[in-house]
Amino acid sequence: MRASLYRFNWIMFAAMLALIAVGTVSIWSAGNARAETVFHGMWLSNLATAGVGLVVYFALAFADYRKILAWTSVPAYAFAVVLLIAVLAFGSKVYGGRRWLWFFQPSEVAKLCVICLIARLFGGEGRRGFGWFALAAALIAVPTFLILLEPDLGTALTLVPAVVLMLFAARVWRRGLVTMLATGMIAAFALLGAVYEAERPGVTEARRERILRWVPLKSHQLSRVKVFLFPEEDLTGAGYTLRQAKISIGSGGFSGKGIGKGESNHLKYLPQSISMNDFIFCVYAEETGYIGSLVLLALFAALLCPCVWSALVSADGSGRLLALGVATLIFAHVWTNIAMSIGLVPITGLPLPFISSGRTFLMTVMAGLGLVQSVSMHGRETQK
Amino acid sequence: MKREDSIVSDLSCWAVMAVFVAGLAVLAVRLKEVQVDGAPDYNYEKARQSVRRVQTAGPRGRILDRRGRVLAENRRALSIVCNAAVFRKRTWDATESAIAEAVSNVAAVVGRPSPLTVRAISRHVRQSLAMPLVAWRDLSEEELARFSEHSWLHPGFSVAETEERVYPNGCLACHLVGYVGRDRAHGEEGDERFSFREFDLCGRSGLELYYDGFLRGVAGEKKLLVDARGFSEREWVVSEARRGPDLCLTIDADIQRVAEEQLAGVRGACVALDPRDGSLLAMASSPGFDLNEFVPMLSREVYSRYLDDPAKPLLNRASGGTYAPGSTFKPVTALAGLEMGYPADADYDCSGVFALGAMRLHCARRWGHGPINIKEALKVSCNTFFCNLGMDIGTNAVMSAARAFGLGERTGIDFPDDRAGLVPNDAWKRKTYGERWYPGDLAQMSIGQGMLLASPLQMALVAGAVGTGYLVTPHLKYGVPPARRALPFSRRSLEIVREGMRLVVAGGSGSLGGEGVDAEVCGKTGTAEYGLGENRRKNTWFIAYAPAGAPRAAVALVVENGESGGGTAAPRVAAVLRRIFNAR
Repeated sequence: MRASLYRFNWIMFAAMLALIAVGTVSIWSAGNARAETVFHGMWLSNLATAGVGLVVYFALAFADYRKILAWTSVPAYAFAVVLLIAVLAFGSKVYGGRRWLWFFQPSEVAKLCVICLIARLFGGEGRRGFGWFALAAALIAVPTFLILLEPDLGTALTLVPAVVLMLFAARVWRRGLVTMLATGMIAAFALLGAVYEAERPGVTEARRERILRWVPLKSHQLSRVKVFLFPEEDLTGAGYTLRQAKISIGSGGFSGKGIGKGESNHLKYLPQSISMNDFIFCVYAEETGYIGSLVLLALFAALLCPCVWSALVSADGSGRLLALGVATLIFAHVWTNIAMSIGLVPITGLPLPFISSGRTFLMTVMAGLGLVQSVSMHGRETQK
Repeated sequence: MKREDSIVSDLSCWAVMAVFVAGLAVLAVRLKEVQVDGAPDYNYEKARQSVRRVQTAGPRGRILDRRGRVLAENRRALSIVCNAAVFRKRTWDATESAIAEAVSNVAAVVGRPSPLTVRAISRHVRQSLAMPLVAWRDLSEEELARFSEHSWLHPGFSVAETEERVYPNGCLACHLVGYVGRDRAHGEEGDERFSFREFDLCGRSGLELYYDGFLRGVAGEKKLLVDARGFSEREWVVSEARRGPDLCLTIDADIQRVAEEQLAGVRGACVALDPRDGSLLAMASSPGFDLNEFVPMLSREVYSRYLDDPAKPLLNRASGGTYAPGSTFKPVTALAGLEMGYPADADYDCSGVFALGAMRLHCARRWGHGPINIKEALKVSCNTFFCNLGMDIGTNAVMSAARAFGLGERTGIDFPDDRAGLVPNDAWKRKTYGERWYPGDLAQMSIGQGMLLASPLQMALVAGAVGTGYLVTPHLKYGVPPARRALPFSRRSLEIVREGMRLVVAGGSGSLGGEGVDAEVCGKTGTAEYGLGENRRKNTWFIAYAPAGAPRAAVALVVENGESGGGTAAPRVAAVLRRIFNAR
């Protein structure tokens, strides 16, 4: 036990605490700008959630992750699938999606469960063939499909890089994996090209219709891709959010407007429904400026690099996979969220870890990091 | 430690870490472009969509007479304004009805219904939401007290200070001063820099209209920070609005008052001016109106009462009303004749009637004046003499003399009403009536009748020009450099006419025109007839200048439906001249 405590990764832990602090302040600022008083106290509930999250974090960190994986990964996975079905059946509808089961979002929890299960299954030797790959694909497909039904494309999408990376690192059917990855990228570019060709100015209506018949996107997704490709069009309609996000971030300047003084946020130019969640980075970036942005990126680096370090120092395949999977999941969220608010990628609804208000997601991320801390503390011990 | 044995290679881990660092670095680079390089552009974009520039109105300048006595100034007025942001609702419609309901609640407290209509509220919410909405203007002490007592019950309403026009003398010089209305603040046409303009007083008639740009306050500017729906969040003043300059007039309020007293109860007009530089001393028209009734805004009832009044109180008869000048035109005919070589001592034989074909023009003296020369003819205002003189010298001579005195054209006064009157000729008559110019028309014109029309202002200028030998451009603003043109008449001719006009007052038809004046008055009476049979009316005139040798004042006065120029108009002119010349 003394040895494990000695291996506790303090950098990772400190970065997490700092991110929770930054997130709480951002939620306080974004919440205060809203007229509804219920949001004014949101930062407190974020802190409370973080408190509960810390208990879970330490519980998972001090337990041996091998035991946790061995005992709980399969039941947890099954339970997550049941929850995902339940949310489709009884969930409450918010902003055009059925994602909530009372106060939490099963899809967030499900992602961690999937990662745990993959880590458990592929940590050992000799599971490299196509058959194993097919099993993994099936295990991933079930929750992903259920999440897509909600629909929550963003959440489903962040699972893909994490899982692909885990399988690749575990050397499961690498040849096929590379082929599929390449195919996927070609398909994505083809999709972008097709939308560009259909929507660029001067295209006849008939031609547009003909091309779009082959594009498997829903209308709101199509309009997001259009905004990504042509950000200057329709600034008051579909392009409004991206434009306001950019104005908010850009007007922060080098040193920012000051905490709680973000104008885009207080004057409600940033849509209120998303300023505390998916677009909270805009609030933070306007108030703290480029310095704040760099601090945030540095904190995320200070969180993610020790995660990978935990993998490196772990002797165990499952531990390595688990640490890499959790880190990649967090990184996918961070990168996509910030990139979409400055127009690098199409807008996808997903939260910024620790900064966005979202209790389920915060708990999930903290639980995941608790498991990574466990890998750091127990991963060097030889298998019992 | 058997790391190398692990299924997951170290290389994979390092690669993942590299991807993380690279990904975050890409974000850092891109964020620098947006936040550091793009900050000015994005801040401009934000300001463009969230800052509204408002042009604020400054108080209007005062209008003073030549001695600095106030004709128009401002007083502090209190209004109740409504801040729409307090009634913010989810939809515009809900916001509007919330405001309307609140306004009617406050109306019960104030004790006066708000002039705001549902449409006005709707327009305000949709167009100038960020600005305060004026619900009550110009509160009385009592209304203010009632509101103040209950104001804490009505959040969103507050008392704001504004300026209203006030005219301490009420009716005095009402046509001259003019009234104001309310308009958006003054600004360049199509000035896109401002999103909103405050309401400002703007001249609608008289000097308030003519010198509107001069009197207006210097506009200020403030900026409003508005939220995404247009409600005002914060404001800051960029530049203060300043008071407009005072307008000093050449008018003397005392003379103006006397002129108006002389016209009390009759319809008519009086103009007094300094013929040396054209500055007006008084310009009165009767009946008048009370300027204060137009503040804070003219009610429909008052306006239609004025419009329906047959006496037309809103008409400024002094420069905007034209009349046949009648015998006051005779000095012009006389000058035309003298210039054509008509000898000053030659006589016409007046038989009491001038006959031309079927037309008969009677002289003032039924049985005729007998043989009469030009000075005597002016003195007794002999129609026969001037008809004959006119027929002798011809239409062109009379007409060009009239034009030389500025008749038939605008005087160029700095005032909105500046009627040209009419000097008829052949072409005009053919165009208007489809008839040729008959000799009878010439005979009528020679004695100031027929189609000839002139305003009292023009006739005052004629009187002054005869006295000084040059015609001036009249003006009302103090300090305007004089503009004048010499009359194309010889000194000798002018002296003869001046002598004739002196005789008019010294024992002639206008002997009442100089009564009690401490200066020698030269003048000319006029009694212009119009209408036929039962409707026959006489407009009675008197024009004068004084003192005889070096005129310092010229006056013209007309009374509609008077008895005679000498009896009705001349004594009134004498009263005005007494005010000008007699020591006080």
